[in-house]
Amino acid sequence: MASEDLFRNDYSEEPDLGQEFQNDEEMSTEMAEHDTEDVEKTTGQNDTNSSPSVNQPAAKSPEQTKTINGNKPSEHEHDGKLTQLPMGRIRNIMKLDPDLQIASNEAVFAVTKAVELFIESLAREAYTYTAQAKKKTIQKRDVDLAISAVDSLMFLDGALNF
Amino acid sequence: MVERIEDLNLPNAVIARLIKEALPDGSNVSKEARAAIAKAASVFAIFITSSSTALAHKQNHRTITAKDILQTLNELDFESFVPSLTQDLEVYRKMVKDKKESKANNKKDASTGDAIASSSSAVVVADSEEAA
Repeated sequence: MASEDLFRNDYSEEPDLGQEFQNDEEMSTEMAEHDTEDVEKTTGQNDTNSSPSVNQPAAKSPEQTKTINGNKPSEHEHDGKLTQLPMGRIRNIMKLDPDLQIASNEAVFAVTKAVELFIESLAREAYTYTAQAKKKTIQKRDVDLAISAVDSLMFLDGALNF
Repeated sequence: MVERIEDLNLPNAVIARLIKEALPDGSNVSKEARAAIAKAASVFAIFITSSSTALAHKQNHRTITAKDILQTLNELDFESFVPSLTQDLEVYRKMVKDKKESKANNKKDASTGDAIASSSSAVVVADSEEAA
């Protein structure tokens, strides 16, 4: 592997740049994997997945890989559009919990989906009050009423008043 | 980790779309109500995270998993989310697995760029079928 790379180095620069970046990527994601287990694994996959196509515009790839391997790993996790909300944002929110050590990617996915369901059900709940008032537009008042009426939304009490 | 506080806000456009989808046609959301729902969503994310963390700690787990999240939702009276979440998780797991496999294939024929493009688009197609 290493000797092959060296040989190619002699021949041309262009394709080789890509090769080097790819190796760098793999090394750094491997290290990341040891640190944070499967949290980083899918981002690692994304990196290596994207790298072959990145090979052609070789000049651009180093910066891209840096942001990918940096501290915002999941802004680019479209995951084939399984979630509407960005999982990276949700992971950042989850990291606010000082007791959280590691969250698996599946856990982040589950929270993202749960938040989506939560938004939909809170909107529906609030709309019942909108409809009661014979209106079409949900007002803040309707959201507040929904929150104080539903037991499982007790945790939001006072959280929205600032 | 989080450089700017805006990095913690959920994207407004997505929130608006999710709300719209949940409501009957012709209904609307005021700006304040949407902001309140968005804030509630962030608080909800923190809420289930910290509950799941507590749960994982109780079981001496360092990593919180999807299972912890589901169990937490059950305990916090959000059990109505669980069936749909379980389905979504299956789709997600399958997608991750497919990605892994296509990555292995990519490594084999890394030199041919077209093959990669076509195989990854095939994965996307399979996923969207799955989702539908």
